Amino acid sequence: MQEAYIVSAVRTPVAKAHKGHFRNTRPDDLLAHVLRHSLSATPGLDAARVEDVIIGCAMPEAEQGMNVARIGVLLAGMPDNVPGVTVNRFCSSGLQTIASAADRIRLGEAEVMIAGGTESMTMVPMMGHKIAMNPDVFSNDENVAIAYGMGITAEKVSQRWGISREDQDQFAFDSHRKALAAIDGSGFPEIVPYTVQSHVPDLQSGAVRVVEHVVDTDEGPRRGTTAEALAKLRPVFQADGTVTAGNSSQMSDGAAALMVVSEKVVKELNLEPLAVFRGFSVAGVEPEVMGIGPIAAIPKVLKQSGISKDQLDWIELNEAFAAQALAVIKDVDLDPSKVNPKGGAIALGHPLGATGAVLSAKMIHAMRAEGGKYGMVTMCIGTGMGAAGVFEIL
Amino acid sequence: MSANPPIRRAAVLGAGVMGAQIAAHLVNAGIDTLLYELPAKEGNPNGLVNEAIKRLGKLKPAPLGYRDVGKILQACNYQGDLEQLAGCDLVIEAIAERMDWKKDLYGKVVPHLKDDVILASNTSGLSITSLADVLPEAMRSQFLGVHFFNPARYMYLVELIPHAGTDGAVMDRLESLLTTTVGKGVVRAKDTPNFIGNRIGVFSMLSTMYHTGQSGLGFDVVDALTGPAIGRPKSATYRTSDVVGLDTMIHVLSTMKDTLDDDPWHSYFTVPAWLQKLVDQGALGQKTGVGIYRKKGRTIEVLDLDQQDYRASAAELDPEVQALLKERDPAKKLAGLRAHSHPQAQFLWSVFRDLFHYCAYFLGDIADSAREIDQAIRWGYGWKQGPFEIWQAAGWQQVAEWINEDIAAGKTMSDAALPAWVTDGRDGVHSPEGSYSASRETVAARSDLAVYQRQLQPELLVGEQRNAGTTIFEDDAVRLWTLDNDVAILSFRSKMNALSVGVIQGLLKAVDIAERDYRGLVIWQEREPFCVGADLAGAGAALQAGDADSVRGMLADFQKAVMALKYASVPTIAAVRGMALGGGCELAMHCSHVVAAHESYMGLVEVGVGLLPAGGGLKEMALRAQQWTHAGDAFALLQKFYQNIAMGKVAGSAHEAREMGYLRPTDTIIMNSHETLHVAIEQAKAMSEIGYRPPLRNQRFSMPGEIGVATLDMMLVNMHEGHFISDHDREIGHRIATVISGGGIDRGIEVGEDWLLKLEQEHFMALAVQPKTQERIAHMLKTGKPLRN
Repeated sequence: MQEAYIVSAVRTPVAKAHKGHFRNTRPDDLLAHVLRHSLSATPGLDAARVEDVIIGCAMPEAEQGMNVARIGVLLAGMPDNVPGVTVNRFCSSGLQTIASAADRIRLGEAEVMIAGGTESMTMVPMMGHKIAMNPDVFSNDENVAIAYGMGITAEKVSQRWGISREDQDQFAFDSHRKALAAIDGSGFPEIVPYTVQSHVPDLQSGAVRVVEHVVDTDEGPRRGTTAEALAKLRPVFQADGTVTAGNSSQMSDGAAALMVVSEKVVKELNLEPLAVFRGFSVAGVEPEVMGIGPIAAIPKVLKQSGISKDQLDWIELNEAFAAQALAVIKDVDLDPSKVNPKGGAIALGHPLGATGAVLSAKMIHAMRAEGGKYGMVTMCIGTGMGAAGVFEIL
Repeated sequence: MSANPPIRRAAVLGAGVMGAQIAAHLVNAGIDTLLYELPAKEGNPNGLVNEAIKRLGKLKPAPLGYRDVGKILQACNYQGDLEQLAGCDLVIEAIAERMDWKKDLYGKVVPHLKDDVILASNTSGLSITSLADVLPEAMRSQFLGVHFFNPARYMYLVELIPHAGTDGAVMDRLESLLTTTVGKGVVRAKDTPNFIGNRIGVFSMLSTMYHTGQSGLGFDVVDALTGPAIGRPKSATYRTSDVVGLDTMIHVLSTMKDTLDDDPWHSYFTVPAWLQKLVDQGALGQKTGVGIYRKKGRTIEVLDLDQQDYRASAAELDPEVQALLKERDPAKKLAGLRAHSHPQAQFLWSVFRDLFHYCAYFLGDIADSAREIDQAIRWGYGWKQGPFEIWQAAGWQQVAEWINEDIAAGKTMSDAALPAWVTDGRDGVHSPEGSYSASRETVAARSDLAVYQRQLQPELLVGEQRNAGTTIFEDDAVRLWTLDNDVAILSFRSKMNALSVGVIQGLLKAVDIAERDYRGLVIWQEREPFCVGADLAGAGAALQAGDADSVRGMLADFQKAVMALKYASVPTIAAVRGMALGGGCELAMHCSHVVAAHESYMGLVEVGVGLLPAGGGLKEMALRAQQWTHAGDAFALLQKFYQNIAMGKVAGSAHEAREMGYLRPTDTIIMNSHETLHVAIEQAKAMSEIGYRPPLRNQRFSMPGEIGVATLDMMLVNMHEGHFISDHDREIGHRIATVISGGGIDRGIEVGEDWLLKLEQEHFMALAVQPKTQERIAHMLKTGKPLRN
C-alpha cells in the first residue's frame, strides 16, 4: 500500500446562511473557486491528470444538485476528461471524500485525486426542499427517532450524559473566544478569499450595477458575546431544555477542497506535502442520540491506524451542539485543550457537507504552523453515526 | 376643481406614534402613502422614519393589517423628498402640538403641494382656525382638522373640524374617503378646545374623579362601577388612565384649564394632589409598570388614598347596587340609583347627572347636533351608548327634572342652568327624523352624503328606527329577510351567533328558499361577531350525557349545510366582520364569496377545545392547497395551512386571513364594517347577473396520502418530544394530519369531497368521545380560554 499525501488544502471563508456574504452565491460557484485554487496551489500539475473529484454535500439538490461535483469541475474550467462524484454522509461528507480519495491512491488505482465539499444552507434547507417521511417511521416506535430534529437529539444527549446548560454556554463562549483570537492572531491561512459579485438595479439609470466585495474572513464569530448573554437565550427545541441557538452550531455556506496525490507525484513535481492521511472510521449509534457518534468512531480509527489517544496533538471535533461535543469529550476522555484550539462550529459555522473538508484544511494548516504530529477530525452525523479521520502532519 | 377628484396618494407628515399609525392604516386601506420625518443627522437621511416604520411592526395591537404594509409605506424626509408632495392628493400633518413648529413646517411644504390638495392637521390641542391663519390665503379653503383616535387602526372615530373658510366640498370629499375607503366613523366637530370626543370624554373622567373623592369610594370600586356594568369598556376609568399614561392625563387637564376659561366647570379642571404625587414619583401607569394600579407578583394592587399605600384590588359592590345595575329598564335603573342611599348608587347617579348637565350645556357650542356627541363617545371611548342616549332611554323629562332639582339643591358640580331647550317638552334628542341641533334650533337629519347610502344598517342611536326589511321566515334561531326582494339575508339569533341545532336547520332552510325565490343569499349578522363556531354548551352537554349520536347528527347536518351553501344554484355570500372562528370560519369558506371587513378575525381554532375542523374546513383547506398551487408543490402549501390549524391560529385581519388561506384571493375585503351588507348584496346581484354557476360537484383532488401524514407527523413528534405539546395535542395533530392528507392512502390518489367529509366526521367523533376533549370543552365554556391538557 502506498501513502496518500495531501499537497494542498483550501477553503472559502464560512459565511452565515440567509443573511451572510454568500446569500446570493451559489454552492457550485463556491466549489469551482476552491477547485481552481487547489490546482493553482499545486504548481506543475496538469489538471487533466486528476483521476476523480469527490465532493461532499449533505443536501445535494437544487443549486447543489445534478451531481454538483462534476458541475464544479466544469465551472472551474478543468479539462473535460476530469470526472466528478458527489458523496453524501451528511455532516461527515467532506471527511468521507478525503478518505475515499486517499483509498484510491493507497490502492494504486489513482495518482491524483481532489476531495472536498460544498454546501449552501441558504439555498437548500436542512432536509431539503421537499420532505417526505416514510410512514413506517411512525408505525414502529423503534424508528421514530429518524424523525427527530437534531436539536431534540442534542437535548437527549445532554440528559443522558448529564451536560448542564452552564457548561454548554461556557463551551459556546469559549468557541467564540478562541475563534476570535485566531482571526486576530495567526489567522486561517487555508482561506482563499472569494469575490462576491452582486447585481443590483440602479433605479436612477435603469442599468444593472455590479458591486463587488471580497470575503476573506469567517463571518460567524460574534464579538462581544458574553456568558450572560448566552445564558439569557431560550431553549429552542425543548420547552424545558438546555439547547439554545447560542450553544448550537450556526447554519452556514462554504466550500473546501484538498488535493491528494501519491508519493510518485510528490517526487515527480517536487511538491511539498502537507500531511499524510492515516485512517478513517465510521460507526453507527442510536439515532436519538446521534450527537455521540464520535464515541463509537474514535476508538475504531485509533485502533485501525495504530495511534494512541495520547499521541493526538490536535482534535477538530465538530461542534454540532455544545451538548454533544461535551458528551464526547467527557466519554472518550479527550484533553479539552487539544479540542478545537481555534474555535469550532458554534462560532465558525457548519456548512454541513463541506464541514469535514473545511475542518481538515483548517487543522492541517494550523498544525503545520503550531507544531504537532497527529491530528484527528471527527464529527457526529444525523440519524446516528460518527466519523473520525487521522492525519499525520508533515 | 372637479367635484370629486380621486385620492390616489397621501402623505403623512410626522412619524410619531399617531402619524406613523395613521400612515400605516392608509396603506391598510389601499392608499399609496408617504410618511415624512426630519432627516437623520447622520447616516441614511431616512434613518428616523425607517426606525418609526420598524417600530410599527412590533406594536400591539398591530397597526399593520399585513406584514408588507411596512414595506409599502414609503419613507421620506423633509430634506430630499419634498418634490414628491406634488403627487399627493391628501396631506395629513401629525407633528408635535407646537404652533411654531407647525407654522414652520407649513411654510416648507405648502409651495410643493398640488392645487387641489386636501391639507389636514391631526391636532388634538390646537385650534384649526389659528392654524389656518398661518397658511397662505389660497390654501386655507382646502385646510381642515382631522382627529384620529389612538390606536388609529382600531378606533372607529375620526373627527373632522372645519374652520370658517374650509370649502364644504373638501369636507365632503374627505368624509367620503375616510368613511368608505379608510373605514372610519366620521363625526364633524366645531373648532372648540378638545373638539367633541375628548371634551366630553375627559370631562367624564374628571367628574368621575371628583365624585370618587366626594364619595370616598376606592379606585377599584369605581372601576367596577364605571366599566361594563354601565356599558363602558373593561378598563373603566382608572385603568384607562393608567393605560393612557398619568402624565398625559395631567397634560390634558392642564390644556382644559388653559383653554376653557369660560367653562362654568373651570374650577374643577385641576390636577388632584394624589395624581400629581404619583407622577412626581415616576408612577406614570402602564408604561412604568406602576400607576393607580400595580402588579405585585400575581395580585393586582390599587392605590388606596386613605391608607396612602397600595392594597390588593378587591372591588366589592353592594348587592343591591349590583341588582340595580342588572335592571334592564334604563328608566328604572337610573331612578333606582338616584333613590338608593348607598354611596355607590349615589356616586353613579352623580356621575351621570353631571355628565348630562355638561353635555346639554355645551351641545350648541361644540357640535351641530346631539348625534355627534353620542357617536363620538361611542366610537372614541367605546361606550355602548352616548350620554344623550342614556339620558333619553331613562326618560328625558324625568331626568331633566331631577337634574334641575339637584342644581337647585346645590348638589351639581356647577350651578349653571340647563339650556331652555332641554325642558321644552321634548322626549329626547334623537328621533327617526334626526337629532336635535341646539345651535340651529332644529332637528338635523343624518348626513345625505352618498357614502352613507352604503350603510344599509347603520349603527343606530337610541330613538332612531332601523329599516327592518321584510321577513321571509323566522324562528328562535334565525331570521331570513330581505331589503330589496332580490337577495335573501340570513341573520342568526343565537348567543355570539354560534351554530346551534336551530341555526343549522335555519341555514338549510334558507338555502332552499333562496334557490327557489331569490337571486342570492347573504349571511350577515346584526352585531359582531360573524360566528364563533359550534354551540359548545349544547354539544358539550350531549357528550357529557354520553349522547354521542346527537353530536354526530348535528355534525352531519352542519356538513350538509355547508355543502348546500357551496353548491347552491344561487350565489351565497358571507358578510363577515369580527370573529369567524371554527364552524364560523368553515361556514364562510363554503360560501360562493366572502365580503370581509378589514377587522375580521378568522381561524380554525377547534384544537383549543380538543376537536378538529369537521364542517368541511379541513376538506376545503386540502382542496385549496391543491387548486391554488396548480403545477407547484401543493404539499408545501398544505403544510402551512396545517400548521395554522394545528396551532389554532387566528388571523389578525382580513388581509392576514387571505395570507392564511381562509379567504380566497378573489374574496372581497372592505374597510368599513358597516358596509358589509351592502357590498354583499351587490356582490350577490352581480354574480347572479353574470350567470353564476356553482362549482362542479364531481371534481376529484389528488391527495398526499400516508406520506403526507408521516411528514406532518414528523413536526408533531418533535414538538411532542420537545415538550411543547401534550399527548392529547399530538393525537389531535395526528388526526388533523390524517384528514387533511386524505387518510392512509397512496400518495397521488384522487378523491372527492365526500371522502374527506367522512374522514372529518370519523376523526372528529373519535376525539369528541374522549374525556380530555370534554375537559377542554368544559374549560372553554367556564373560562373562555383554551385548556392545554
